[in-house]
Amino acid sequence: MATIVAEATGQAFLTEEHKLSFLRKYLFSTDHKVIAAQFLFTTLFFLMIDGLLAMLMRHQLAWPDQTLPGGGILPETMVASGYILPEFYNALVTMHGSIMVFFAIMPMLVGVFANLLIPLQIGARDMAFPRLNMLSFWLMIPAGLLTLGSFFVIGGAAAAGWTLYAPLAARPDLSGVALGQIMWLVSLIFIGLSSILGSVNYITTVTNMRAPGMTWFRLPLTVWALFITAILALIAMPVLSAAGIMLLFDQTLGTTFFLPEGGGQPLLWQHLFWFFGHPEVYILILPAMGFTSEIIAAGSRKPIFGYRAMVWAMISIAFLGFIVWGHHMFQSGMNPMLGLSFTISTLFIAVPSAIKVFNWMGTMWRGNIHWHTPMLFATGFVGMFAIGGFSGIFAASTPVDIYLHDTYFIVAHIHYVLFGGSLFALFGAIYFWFPKMFGRMMNETLGKIHFALVLVFFNLVFFPMHGLGMAGMMRRIYDPTGYAHLQGIQDTNVLITWSAFALYASGFLFAFNFFWSMFKGPKAEANPWNANTLEWQTPSPPKHGNWAQIPVVYHGPHEYSHPDIEDKDWLAQNERPDVLSPAGSH
Amino acid sequence: MSAAADGVHDAPNYMLIWLYLFIMTVVELGVAFLPIHKSLIVMFLLVMAFWKALLVALYYMHMKWEPVRLRLLALAPLPAAAVLIVVMLMEYV
Amino acid sequence: MAHAAASTMGQAPERGIEVYNQKVGMWVFLCSEVMFFTGLIGSYIVLRFGASDTWGAPNEVLAVPVTAVNTFILICSSVTMVKAFAAAQAGDQKGIKIFLCATAALGALFLSIQLYEYTHLIEHASWQGSHGFTPAAGLYGATFFTMTGFHGFHVFIGVVCLTWASIQAFKGRWGADNTHGIEVLGLYWHFVDLVWIILFTIVYLI
Repeated sequence: MATIVAEATGQAFLTEEHKLSFLRKYLFSTDHKVIAAQFLFTTLFFLMIDGLLAMLMRHQLAWPDQTLPGGGILPETMVASGYILPEFYNALVTMHGSIMVFFAIMPMLVGVFANLLIPLQIGARDMAFPRLNMLSFWLMIPAGLLTLGSFFVIGGAAAAGWTLYAPLAARPDLSGVALGQIMWLVSLIFIGLSSILGSVNYITTVTNMRAPGMTWFRLPLTVWALFITAILALIAMPVLSAAGIMLLFDQTLGTTFFLPEGGGQPLLWQHLFWFFGHPEVYILILPAMGFTSEIIAAGSRKPIFGYRAMVWAMISIAFLGFIVWGHHMFQSGMNPMLGLSFTISTLFIAVPSAIKVFNWMGTMWRGNIHWHTPMLFATGFVGMFAIGGFSGIFAASTPVDIYLHDTYFIVAHIHYVLFGGSLFALFGAIYFWFPKMFGRMMNETLGKIHFALVLVFFNLVFFPMHGLGMAGMMRRIYDPTGYAHLQGIQDTNVLITWSAFALYASGFLFAFNFFWSMFKGPKAEANPWNANTLEWQTPSPPKHGNWAQIPVVYHGPHEYSHPDIEDKDWLAQNERPDVLSPAGSH
Repeated sequence: MSAAADGVHDAPNYMLIWLYLFIMTVVELGVAFLPIHKSLIVMFLLVMAFWKALLVALYYMHMKWEPVRLRLLALAPLPAAAVLIVVMLMEYV
Repeated sequence: MAHAAASTMGQAPERGIEVYNQKVGMWVFLCSEVMFFTGLIGSYIVLRFGASDTWGAPNEVLAVPVTAVNTFILICSSVTMVKAFAAAQAGDQKGIKIFLCATAALGALFLSIQLYEYTHLIEHASWQGSHGFTPAAGLYGATFFTMTGFHGFHVFIGVVCLTWASIQAFKGRWGADNTHGIEVLGLYWHFVDLVWIILFTIVYLI
């Protein structure tokens, strides 16, 4: 009974936080905003570590005949007499991909922003299951420890590629890695559980806990994106868990699910993995698209062009994303008829993505654009994602992919969509929502410099890789100079490596801005961007419980420059019920 | 978030459903060892298994009386599951 | 969860699924479980399709009669589970305790018989010449132990939760005004039964 009264007044929530110990308030918190911050610090840490792994790879590729500066501090099993060992290089390649996908990008997109934004943007006090939410975060810790620890066991970290193809991944006698692979697979099970439990929370919260007036078609596109992403994760990740368990058994119990010598099927692994793997890449891009829509509308002071089309485009991408996985397997020896059907479905999926790109451009067209740092990164996202999408169209066609598969052309494609796409959007999102999370503004000048550095060096690193791939440079190779056909392009590898070092260094500028602003940045008001969505209609940072009174929603989320409003160019979702939204966003 | 869907109907006869499940299991056991063509047995057993699963879902898991939206939610993974299995089977066709 | 209405100035809450959060959450979780078992069972179907001549016939290695009894035990436990929920709805404290304990006990019995079967197979059965039927006994052994093993793991988790729920029943926690926990646990338990119904048919009888 008391809780009903407390809910109505919000008082119990607003004072409750004072009664919790430091441990309960900051470490073992069930408050979604604290959990979001925990995810943010953890994923930024993994982003930094994993970038370092990439720097080691780049040094090896540019100067395979030279010793690694400072390599002496690493164990002899990794760097012998100053040279990166081929076995260690394989581990670097594998773990770079794995850690980026599972510990950096996915948890940053979902663990940070789904947690931060969903309750705030739908007008709820917290997630449907706050303690389950806390568990989702804490499952990442043993997973992370296992992953990082796997570098230091006998045999080193997993080294069969992030895609873990059998039989290589299942046989220590072939890969040279036994315990490291097991640790990675167990870690994956923890990550899978964390993700699935998170999805349970996000789906239940968005479906059942929207504030009055927050109809489905008044949800911010960020919430739509995160909701659809949660459904993808719910359906796709368990299949990876099942496959990973079977791989684990092949390695430890003597089963032969994927080993031909026991009657098993290597192709079975590929089908299971990519059935997960393809929805996974849409998990990695959809939230980024959501943030971009949010930032571009706010930064252009214009409604999103084609809100409903944006929603249906995301739904189509998710739906189609389940029937395109074979485009990763054109070279695998699968049934050729499948090659044809997967090419068709993959080309189809380009259409909704293109619709979104056109709609972002349409939003910015003749807008009153404010080129702040989040807007720069969001616009950068559109351009870089488009380039990544173009290279994807080439790869979608079976005959073209037969040539391009497992070359650096594919590496270029992945990084344009994952770095130029997801990570650009993440940077934009961090600059945009930092004030809401920490109550202070990040430094705008440093932000613009960071953007310029990232834009220039990112393209210098990854654009030439299209050319390298077309010239025949294969993925995951240890020493390009050992191949006659690659001798002539080694200069490009050196250019890429120097640019990569500069790109990595620019990350420290961001880190400095991030941490310095957290303590010394100018205090942020509730709504520094004059944005419409509900999170900006509450203090920065919001109190525990978010709202004194649950807001009532009257408008769609991207109503900027409404013709009936004279005094300002924005219209918060929960103000002025007398002003009608135009038909279509109602 | 009202729980209006609960208790607005008469409780089903759980023991009757139990009896159906019991009988169907016995029939399955009988059919499995009949000296007829294997593919006939397989088809019959799959139908039986599916039917039993449906009884459990509809009556014990209450799906018969839940809102349509919840039923759609529960059915949602099935197309994805079917796509995965069918495509993989095409490797042998 | 309906308390939000009290502070929203007379506006109706949004429709959602019109079922309480915990039930929605459990069904969402069960969707992920469907996909997990699809991964395992789908692999079994595909592997067997491609290597059907290396599979054992029903009752050749696996003990069908004992497992049939075990199936019956699990189905009975679904009945006791649903009766526990009915007892909770009616506020019948004695019924809640009896039926929750019965469900936990039947689940534990299922597990014990399964474990007994496993040890018997591993130590005494023989398959294609080798002594003992283990996960390494070809694809037949691998798929058998993986599918039934993970099902058994889910039963184990269920039994743990049922034991907790039974203890809570003795503390008087459940009643006509607090049935959600039992209902949601029941959904999980019925799902586990449902998976076994499918597994029993395709692993033991086909």
